[in-house]
Amino acid sequence: MTDNPPVLLVEGLSVRRGEQLAVEQVSFQLARETDTALVGPNGAGKSSLVGAVLGLLPRASGTVQILGHALGPAGELPRAVRAQIAYLPQSLALQGRFPLTVGEFVGFGFDPPGLSLAWLGCRRRSEAVQFALKRTGCQDLAQRRLSELSGGQLKRVLLAFCVVRPRQLLVLDEAQAGLDAPSSEQFQELLLELRRQEGWTVLQVSHDLEMVRRSCDLVLCLNRRLRCSGAPDHALSAARLAELYGPNVVPYRHQHDGVGGHG
Amino acid sequence: MTGLAAMADVAGLLEVVGQPFMQRALLGGLLTGALGGLLGSFAVLRQLSFFSDALGHSALLGISLGILLGINPTLVLIPFAVLFALLVNQLVARSGLPADALLNIVYSTSLAFAVVALSLVETYRGGIQQLLFGDILGISWSDLTVIAVLLMGALIYLALSLRAQVLLTLNSDLAGAFGVGASRHRLAFIVLLAVVVAVSIKAVGVLLISAFVVIPACGGRLVSRHFPLYALISACLGGGCALLGLLGSGLTNLPSGPCVVIVQFAGFLLALLVSKTTRCSPAGVCLHSGRQP
Repeated sequence: MTDNPPVLLVEGLSVRRGEQLAVEQVSFQLARETDTALVGPNGAGKSSLVGAVLGLLPRASGTVQILGHALGPAGELPRAVRAQIAYLPQSLALQGRFPLTVGEFVGFGFDPPGLSLAWLGCRRRSEAVQFALKRTGCQDLAQRRLSELSGGQLKRVLLAFCVVRPRQLLVLDEAQAGLDAPSSEQFQELLLELRRQEGWTVLQVSHDLEMVRRSCDLVLCLNRRLRCSGAPDHALSAARLAELYGPNVVPYRHQHDGVGGHG
Repeated sequence: MTGLAAMADVAGLLEVVGQPFMQRALLGGLLTGALGGLLGSFAVLRQLSFFSDALGHSALLGISLGILLGINPTLVLIPFAVLFALLVNQLVARSGLPADALLNIVYSTSLAFAVVALSLVETYRGGIQQLLFGDILGISWSDLTVIAVLLMGALIYLALSLRAQVLLTLNSDLAGAFGVGASRHRLAFIVLLAVVVAVSIKAVGVLLISAFVVIPACGGRLVSRHFPLYALISACLGGGCALLGLLGSGLTNLPSGPCVVIVQFAGFLLALLVSKTTRCSPAGVCLHSGRQP
């Protein structure tokens, strides 16, 4: 092991969903404080890969190391390493009148894993929650129910949940799904700002290739296998996109800022 | 005359309340109601209310099997309910069918088997009525001890695992990524729910058990926005309504289990009314208002 191991090291990872391999022999690594996008068509195995990396899905083969610690067969990690990982899902199962306030939810992000009465609160926890809400522009939402929030507000609250204690690896699974363009833009700006301040290493599944081109350092193109990887300009070239998504995908550039995307 | 009759009724109620069996019943109602409300507050959010209904119906099959085999039904009930819950949980997870449809199949089939099994027994001392609607007046001190221990155990487990329970309810991947042993906690909760249902059956009955789990929790949800408060209000609603229902039953000489459920329903309507006429400030303080929040 080197003195400065990659935050995430994946080698020969295969993941089975039902009878079929959803991910096959994928290897990559994430250096500290980099932002990596995982792109690919629907059903390419992106969420399966993320699930296996986080220890939520079993691996058919391969190894995963997070901060130099090997992920166990059932997703085991030392508690201190697990506390360094944050995850933003696409959505939460929030039915109407869900009895949980934003402040309470963010507080659970501060509490350590395992059985504890930390939710009863202490001054340090309360200050951390207030600070996280302030940093994400959610201070006015503290007493609102989670189920009362708009999509954009909920995503910011999820970022507050992640930033409420120091972490190193942030994994986002299509975190911007369901957001309109301005909300998506605001979310991305906030993510970028927090990433710089916190020194997060980011792995994000995304379909927004324009955002990926603009914000990410590295792109992993997945379609069951890793089809290509590299800097956005290289990995998202017209030829590579056609190879990944099929010939009907035509890259275009937005007129308002001249940044590339795909249609 | 009416006033005299009412006084006579109250005097009669006081006399009944003074009886040891009624004191045990009141304590049993309070504990069972609180237990149902507490577990229900989590079960309803996890969309497990139909699961508790299926467990309740399956309990009748457990009791029937106990009678058929000549074993004390109470002894059979808890292991049967736990085993049944685990099997149904696996079935729901692996079949790929919608959970509500599958649970419907399970509970109606287990009810059918139970009735067939009971028909094979010439006479059942307890009576089918008591199985269906409970016999809280027949609750013993040992039953009360079991319920009290279970309530304490549930309270401790749920308090210690509150973060895990809430995150699991919101998104199981989120919970897992943040260090929650999702399958372990999910299984523990289902086992706890099964044990609570099995223990409460004697007092509440097969048909009314799901009301004890669902109604107080829904009432609590209408009037609280903070999670610990929601669980507390649900437990208090469950226990309080059970107490009032039993007193009402003593006053009117009507069946106790159904009286409790009717009072729970009244409590739910009251919570609905309160939720429609209160307005909460951003600080979480709720004030009376004519407008909906």
